[in-house]
Amino acid sequence: MINTSNGMISTSSTSANTQSPGLKTYFKTPEGRYKLHYEKTHPSGLLHYAHGKTATQVTLANLKDKPAPSTPTAQPSSFSASSGVRSAAARLLGTGNGGRALSFVGGNGGSKSISSTSSRIGSLGASSSSNSMINTNYDGKGTYLIFNVGDAIFISDLNSQDKDPIKSIHFSNSNPVCHAFDQDAKDGHDLLIGLSSGDVYSVSLRQQLQDVGKKLVGAQHYNKDGSVSNSRCMSIAWVPGGDGAFGVAHADGNLYIYEKSKDGAGDSSFPVIKDQSQFSVSHARYSKSNPIARWHICQGSINGIAFSTDGTYLATVGRDGYLRVFDYSKGQLICGGKSYYGALLCCAWSMDVKYILTGGEDDLVQVWSMEDRKVVAWGEGHNSWVSGVAFDSYWSSPNSDGTGENVVYRFGSVGQDTQLLLWDLEMDEIVVPLRRCPPGGSPTFSTGSQSSHWDSVIPVGTLQPAPSMRDVPKLSPVVAHRAHTEPLSGVVFRQESVLTVCREGHIKIWMRPGTSESQSSNSETISSTSLREKPLLSSKTGSSAYKQ
Amino acid sequence: MGAAGSKLEKALGDQFPEGERYFGLENFGNTCYCNSVLQALYFCAPFREQLLEYYANSKNTGDAEENLLTCLADLFTQISSQKKKTGVIAPKRFVQRLKKQNELFRSYMHQDAHEFLNFLLNELVDILEKEAQAVKSEPETSSPPEKTANGPKHAQANGVSKEPLVTWVHKNFQGILTNETRCLQCETVTARDETFFDLSLDIEQNSSITSCLKNFSSTETLNAEDKFFCDKCCSLQEAQKRMKIKKPPHILVIHLKRFKYIEQLGRYKKLSYRVVFPLELKLSNTVEDADIEYSLFAVVVHVGSGPNHGHYVSLVKSHNHWLFFDDENVEMIDESAVQTFFGSTQEYSSNTDHGYILFYESIGASNNKS
Repeated sequence: MINTSNGMISTSSTSANTQSPGLKTYFKTPEGRYKLHYEKTHPSGLLHYAHGKTATQVTLANLKDKPAPSTPTAQPSSFSASSGVRSAAARLLGTGNGGRALSFVGGNGGSKSISSTSSRIGSLGASSSSNSMINTNYDGKGTYLIFNVGDAIFISDLNSQDKDPIKSIHFSNSNPVCHAFDQDAKDGHDLLIGLSSGDVYSVSLRQQLQDVGKKLVGAQHYNKDGSVSNSRCMSIAWVPGGDGAFGVAHADGNLYIYEKSKDGAGDSSFPVIKDQSQFSVSHARYSKSNPIARWHICQGSINGIAFSTDGTYLATVGRDGYLRVFDYSKGQLICGGKSYYGALLCCAWSMDVKYILTGGEDDLVQVWSMEDRKVVAWGEGHNSWVSGVAFDSYWSSPNSDGTGENVVYRFGSVGQDTQLLLWDLEMDEIVVPLRRCPPGGSPTFSTGSQSSHWDSVIPVGTLQPAPSMRDVPKLSPVVAHRAHTEPLSGVVFRQESVLTVCREGHIKIWMRPGTSESQSSNSETISSTSLREKPLLSSKTGSSAYKQ
Repeated sequence: MGAAGSKLEKALGDQFPEGERYFGLENFGNTCYCNSVLQALYFCAPFREQLLEYYANSKNTGDAEENLLTCLADLFTQISSQKKKTGVIAPKRFVQRLKKQNELFRSYMHQDAHEFLNFLLNELVDILEKEAQAVKSEPETSSPPEKTANGPKHAQANGVSKEPLVTWVHKNFQGILTNETRCLQCETVTARDETFFDLSLDIEQNSSITSCLKNFSSTETLNAEDKFFCDKCCSLQEAQKRMKIKKPPHILVIHLKRFKYIEQLGRYKKLSYRVVFPLELKLSNTVEDADIEYSLFAVVVHVGSGPNHGHYVSLVKSHNHWLFFDDENVEMIDESAVQTFFGSTQEYSSNTDHGYILFYESIGASNNKS
């Protein structure tokens, strides 16, 4: 109980730290208000500035109901003698309040001691094994947030109000930097984690949740100790419909393709890259090898990769400022182009695979058209580098007539200026004016290169130079909202909410206008019960904890 | 020192650039402001090239009276002609001359690196202009070296006119700003040009250099107390004012105003704001949409939490490697380490190493790359 109350105290202190007087807890859009619903974070203070170089990324994971009744996947060690007593208490807590939602509250209350003890006093870790009873919760479906901070991966339950993560996994050798989840994974491993050492792991998320330790369990280890590449992992992604294949992009400009079913025992050496500036694909020489292929994409770091939802295309962005789009199965460059200036940091596809968003060090959000194979718009509005972009695939235009004639895309971007920006891309408004008055209209202005090919058809497989400022139509954001006090690193759209995450590992969940009423009333019941519980716990034991 | 040098040599291995020298500079008591700027200037390829050329030529003419320019040229020549590839040099003569010349730098107090850079560039220009004047007043003994120093023809065409000379220092660093003021009454635009060696930018927390440059050129309305005297209307009028870059310099020096006078405190305070700077940059606030691209090659970093104390170091890019110069010490760093000098998102942070002066060189436009 003391552990739990410690957890409470740390929670409240965390909230005090993250709450800044200058920040609003809502923002207005044409369709209504987005309200700050709750926040997720990690045990505060411990890692501050110790991890300067790794920015937090967040991955959303939907666990489905387990198909078969669970067989105990138990690590024998996780059942300690005390577990019986504690789990009985937890069961009491859970059933006493009734309801599914409450089991989360109970579960989190208990498991909070995992995170707090694991990060504070390692020796108390043993007592946290008593939470093994809660493990049964993780047989069901759930939505989780996976995020990295410093040398740890944290997992939070998105459906709970609790700020603190329910699980932390520590890496002793290196820092986790990127991760990906495959909710359609057929067997077992659905979570990928890439480290700054270049090492890569695949694990089962459910198995991690069910385990009470603070280490990865049941992991498959790829590129062990940097045997294939000791260059930092930058971005990691499952190949959609790829049967367990995934790609890992590194800071040295290489992308490796792995298959999770292979254990990677074979020799996985690849030929020396002859020309660093040329794109090349090399396949492993042995069928047993894992990785199965190396794509040398560019000089310098690959900062982000994204597969189109259908798995046809792979988009990459990097230090050299180029967006590149490949036909994934053919291993061929389709198109791409340079930023206005500086590196590109992130990229994302539209659901219909027609557009790609990129963000980078020129403070611009770039909209790339697959049909035109060129930039069709620049979003101006960030006051610093753009670190995260995403299309809002759940959003539909309030005045859309359903004919599909006038398609409006909503997308979001976050930047190191701490802002979340929302944009509307109406193709009628953007592209047509551009075509009507091509830049060739003022030939005297022409400095050459760009204007000449701007309107012509761009051949397949060519990379375009940076467009000129005057040639690209500009977009202005619908909303600009200062969401955090720290620079942001990512944005995720969900059906009922928008998630923003900052580099320091704080996540905010903003409810959409429509859903916010029903959702918040629902959540209020949760919070009210949890509130009823929290003071009880903290008042009972909090004082004693302070006296220690 | 020798060990550190060999360490750098080892790190570079056979990638050690042909003919290049990486030498630390000895600190004579708070002269890091000077050392950090000197390193940045040394690795400003066109500047170094032209300074050495000037030195070689002026040596031939013989009558070199010691001044800051000859001391600097001396120092650069000394570094570049070292037998060893790495090591430490004491910029003794230069620092002595500097202290002699300007009492500001005479004390052992912490000095401002930007002030020093400014003083140095202006001093070099003065010396070159004086030399040119002297040559002109002398009857027809004009020797080739001075010609290169003087640059364009109009100086000669105008004879002893007061036309400002364009020296090779100008050619490298000088840009022209135009201050456009539009009277809201008569719509007349008054443009006033001014030259600059560097741009001093106001900074904001969690912003980028791009954004600071945008703010620098943003339109400002002059009204109420602060009206504009329109020559056409012959009266004070409301007006709109903005700064644009008319002629972008070849070497773009950006000074971040990290030391701000806080009136309530009655003293200067260091702003530790996180201001990100890209390795490549374009100026969008130019008169013509020139889209000139610049590449970052040096950063002077201020270390410390206050304006009156601390330390200066510099990051320098040479032949595609990044080097870290801290007085005597020279280390190789990864390009990605540059981002650790952006600043802090929180006021009281343990990280006090903040980018202070940025040096960008224009690329593509000329073949000045070495």
